[in-house]
Amino acid sequence: MRKPIVLLTALLFFAAAGARAQKLESQPGYVPIEELGLFPADKLSVEINIDGPLLRMVAEATKREDPGFSAVLAGLKSIKVQVFPLKGVDADVIKTRIGRSAHWLEDRGWVSMLKVRDQGEETYIYLKQAGDRIDGLTLLSFNPKDEAVVINIVGRIDPAQIGRIGQSLNLPQLKKLPATRKPE
Amino acid sequence: MRPNDEFSCADAIDFLEPYLDGDLPTGQADRLREHLGSCAACAAELALAERIQRELRSLPQPDCPPEVIERVVRAGRGEVVPFPGRKQPLRWRIAAAAAVMALTLGGGSLFVHLQNQRLQSQREQQVAQATQEARFALAYLGRATHKVGLDVRDEVLQKRLVIPTTRSVSRSLSDLPDEPRKEF
Repeated sequence: MRKPIVLLTALLFFAAAGARAQKLESQPGYVPIEELGLFPADKLSVEINIDGPLLRMVAEATKREDPGFSAVLAGLKSIKVQVFPLKGVDADVIKTRIGRSAHWLEDRGWVSMLKVRDQGEETYIYLKQAGDRIDGLTLLSFNPKDEAVVINIVGRIDPAQIGRIGQSLNLPQLKKLPATRKPE
Repeated sequence: MRPNDEFSCADAIDFLEPYLDGDLPTGQADRLREHLGSCAACAAELALAERIQRELRSLPQPDCPPEVIERVVRAGRGEVVPFPGRKQPLRWRIAAAAAVMALTLGGGSLFVHLQNQRLQSQREQQVAQATQEARFALAYLGRATHKVGLDVRDEVLQKRLVIPTTRSVSRSLSDLPDEPRKEF
């Protein structure tokens, strides 16, 4: 009798874990950054993976001190960031990968919001839309003198609100991230 | 003691105990009484023995449990009687069980409390780091969109739309013969 119970428990556990993983991956705004193979994982200067309950906890924790920031996070399901320093690296390889990723997004129905090429720098911002609703935002940025960045945000997104909140934050100070978190 | 007395003091001392217990034969008891009547030292010994016996009898007599008496009797008959398991009174057993339970519960709740505190602290650290990371992601996005927005305004709208339109309108106005010339 005990064996079937153990098996059933294990089955339910794996089903729940699978459902959670499936849930994020099945979101229309989700981009499998690791699968795109943009940057070598062990050379990243910043790697951020925040999703699910942790995002909600951050939204809850910042509700009083920073309601705007909290409101933006409350609608999100996942934030992924990878920053790859380009010093001493063949930047052209990364530039090619960035361009290839932009095509990958376009092939999957992502709409280009901005494409800027200026003095070797390239920035692409793509949106995943469903009618009037925006379900995902992806930024691909390449600066040959500095770094390459990919950001994927999944969830209910208001780009204007994100831009407004983002500009109010002090980026140089935030550059000093204590440690990068690996994917859970 | 007188030298010609046939009943010596040593004999008298030996007979004192049986005499007091009433076990001494009548003849010997008479001879002892005769000796005590003429020997002050032995009479004093008798008085002391009587006092000790009186005081011993006045002590409370402890009860011997019947099962012990039975065991002694059976052992005297050469039977081997094993000791039964020690039985604690019920109330002591209940008290002991309650004490063990209280200790277990107390220790358990203390452990759970400490564990909760540790988890809470870890959770707070996790939320603090995730908050910083989310701010970083939004700040990066904000900076990128702001920069791109400025580029679009300066490089696209200003150069390709505002300036050509202004020139075109100025040129059109300058071609008008009767109207005073207006500079934009």
